[in-house]
Amino acid sequence: MRENRREPRRALALFMFCSKVWAQEQNALMAQPTALSVMRNRAAVADELRRLLPKMAGFLAAKAMPFGLSAIDRCLPQGGLACGALHEVVPEEGTTPAAFGFIAALLALMPRAHPIIFVMPAYGLREYGRPYGHGLRLLGLDPGRLILVETAHRKDTLWALEEALHSRAPAAAVGVIDKLDLRLSQRLQLAANDARLPLFLLRPAQMLEASAAATRWRVGAAPAARDRFGLFARPRWHLQLERCRNGRTGEWIVEYDHVAHRFSLAAALADPALSHSAGETLLRQVRQACRS
Amino acid sequence: MNAAAEAAGLAPGEPLADARAKAGFLQVRAVDTVADDAALNRLALWATRYTPTASPLCRDFWGEENGADGFFLDIEGAAHLFGGEDKLIADLAFRLEKSFGLPARLAVAATPGAAWALSRFHPARSPILPSGEEAEALAPLPIEALRLSSETCTTLRRLGFKSIGALLDKPRAPFAARFSAELLRRLDQALGRVEEPLVPVAPPPVYHSLRYLIEPIFTQEAVVALASRLMQTLAHVLTRDDVGARALRLSLYRVDGEVKTVDTGLTQPTRSVPHVARLLALRLDALAATEDAGFGFEALGLAVTHAEPMPARQTELASLAADAGETDRTERGAALIDALRQRLGPQSARRFAAMASHLPERAEILPPLNGEDSAWPTPEQKPRPLLLLPRAEPTAVTALVPDGPPRRFCWRGVTYEVTGAQGPERIGAEWWRRPEPTRDYYLVEAAGGHRFWLYREGLYGRETASARWFVHGLFA
Repeated sequence: MRENRREPRRALALFMFCSKVWAQEQNALMAQPTALSVMRNRAAVADELRRLLPKMAGFLAAKAMPFGLSAIDRCLPQGGLACGALHEVVPEEGTTPAAFGFIAALLALMPRAHPIIFVMPAYGLREYGRPYGHGLRLLGLDPGRLILVETAHRKDTLWALEEALHSRAPAAAVGVIDKLDLRLSQRLQLAANDARLPLFLLRPAQMLEASAAATRWRVGAAPAARDRFGLFARPRWHLQLERCRNGRTGEWIVEYDHVAHRFSLAAALADPALSHSAGETLLRQVRQACRS
Repeated sequence: MNAAAEAAGLAPGEPLADARAKAGFLQVRAVDTVADDAALNRLALWATRYTPTASPLCRDFWGEENGADGFFLDIEGAAHLFGGEDKLIADLAFRLEKSFGLPARLAVAATPGAAWALSRFHPARSPILPSGEEAEALAPLPIEALRLSSETCTTLRRLGFKSIGALLDKPRAPFAARFSAELLRRLDQALGRVEEPLVPVAPPPVYHSLRYLIEPIFTQEAVVALASRLMQTLAHVLTRDDVGARALRLSLYRVDGEVKTVDTGLTQPTRSVPHVARLLALRLDALAATEDAGFGFEALGLAVTHAEPMPARQTELASLAADAGETDRTERGAALIDALRQRLGPQSARRFAAMASHLPERAEILPPLNGEDSAWPTPEQKPRPLLLLPRAEPTAVTALVPDGPPRRFCWRGVTYEVTGAQGPERIGAEWWRRPEPTRDYYLVEAAGGHRFWLYREGLYGRETASARWFVHGLFA
């Protein structure tokens, strides 16, 4: 009885959300051609077209994987993490486990049927050891889906990643790469785009080169969410969207629920109903902690 | 015995002093049986250019006097490729003489035993015995031709049996009673009454395709192109039998007699020519640095060493079926794994497999991928780290009470203030393996939000007086 009462409300809310997004996109698409038409200068028109085209191509083409969090999805040009693109995940100083956990959480959201190719050097994540199946499972990712490919050097890692994307067999590919210049990142981005598969790269903290990645996430650690007995319930990460092509950057504290495979903004207060700006207060606290 | 020794009048089995007296120029070396066996094996491998089943005589099995200086070739069904048995045997003798400088005695017969006897004791150089005439052909030969131990031979000679013919028409029962089973078995094997298994130098392939070249080839492209043509011929046979190749062996016969074999394993049975060609190209790429083509390859063989059932698929209609994309994707996945393995090594693609153990480092292994799925138990809600350190690292810990959770710890030169701890989870050692102290695991969160998996080794009072702490894993 109770279930029946609840269903319609949720459906309605979802519909409203969808229609809102749709209306925004329609507005954006409608407004820009009119802006174009008043321009007389050919060069300006060409520039404007060049600016618009990738946006439209991206909008039409690849599927996206929404976080289910409007705060984050708003910043991403396709309303979610683009599937056919290269995404870089960078840890803050000493937070490689958090960055790796964020990738694992994203992978857990991927379609279930297909394997995930994980290419890493034979020494693992250097001083941080190697991925542990039971831990991955506790993050909601089935270790049986993972294929771990060990390589001897960077050239082999790049080759294996490209090979995995070209085959279009896996659901996603993940690589651990130290150095990557612009040319190579463009190459990987193209391969990911052709295959319509997401490619996640875990990069070292001190990464400064330009790259062709669609997004770059910097992941830091944050105090975990506790349940009412004080036990660690859900991991929290300090996410910074440092780079986002055709989108906006942002900064959030998210927590990940491995049972529901769901991201949510961390609530600063115990009662979520009271926290109007979810995550804001906590974010301020984390920033202060970083500064001090 | 080489020609010079024969000219000096030496004979096998002669005492060394006598031999020295006859030929003062004699050079003496100790017998190196291991090197001899290896050389014979190489020669047998070379002989697989005639037929896939080459079996060198085994010294341990047959004894010094009856083995270690020859090999069997099973030329059933292979002789016609050379224009008949006589042509094959002539070609073999010619090549042995020319490439290796080995004067050889060859014989063709329906049973290994008869072939062995004829090659050693028949007056003709390379006799070919038609099937069914073993008894007549063997009758005049001495009993040593039966590959018996020297004691048996001596006893038989003492009893007056000098040739095989003398044994043939005698009643069997007295022989069975007086001699070991060896005598009658050898006799039966030579006459074809009992099957004699041959141990091949390399496991015989299920399907085999071979090509000889007029001009030797050198380049990798040529090798791959020829191999894919061989695969095309094999593919027809494989399709006919509804099987696919799971393991392939490419044999490259070098002009100077060396044989290079390239073994390739596949994740799923395949008949696809481009796929095999690509795998071989990748594999040869990896080998190019170490291997040498020498004067080129004069023959190329491609063999399917392991075949598995692979039902034929209807390609046109299959694309309409709902699960066609899925099947395709699985196949592409298998092809990907094959390609990765060829370049990165057979152990490079691994999967996570759970093991039944409480010790975290033993609770999972990373075996090479072999096509089977790994089943994972439903997770217990106990904390397990995302990253496990290769070995637990000692750490200095301050705790309020000896048995309590840590308050502060120092790891890799950084001091962490603990803001929250969860535990202990006590994990006992596996006493059936070796005695180890018990571990108390804590999930610990430090001030910045870093989460660690620490354990205290040893129970106070019972196992240790001063417990040590270790960092074993890192949480996301």
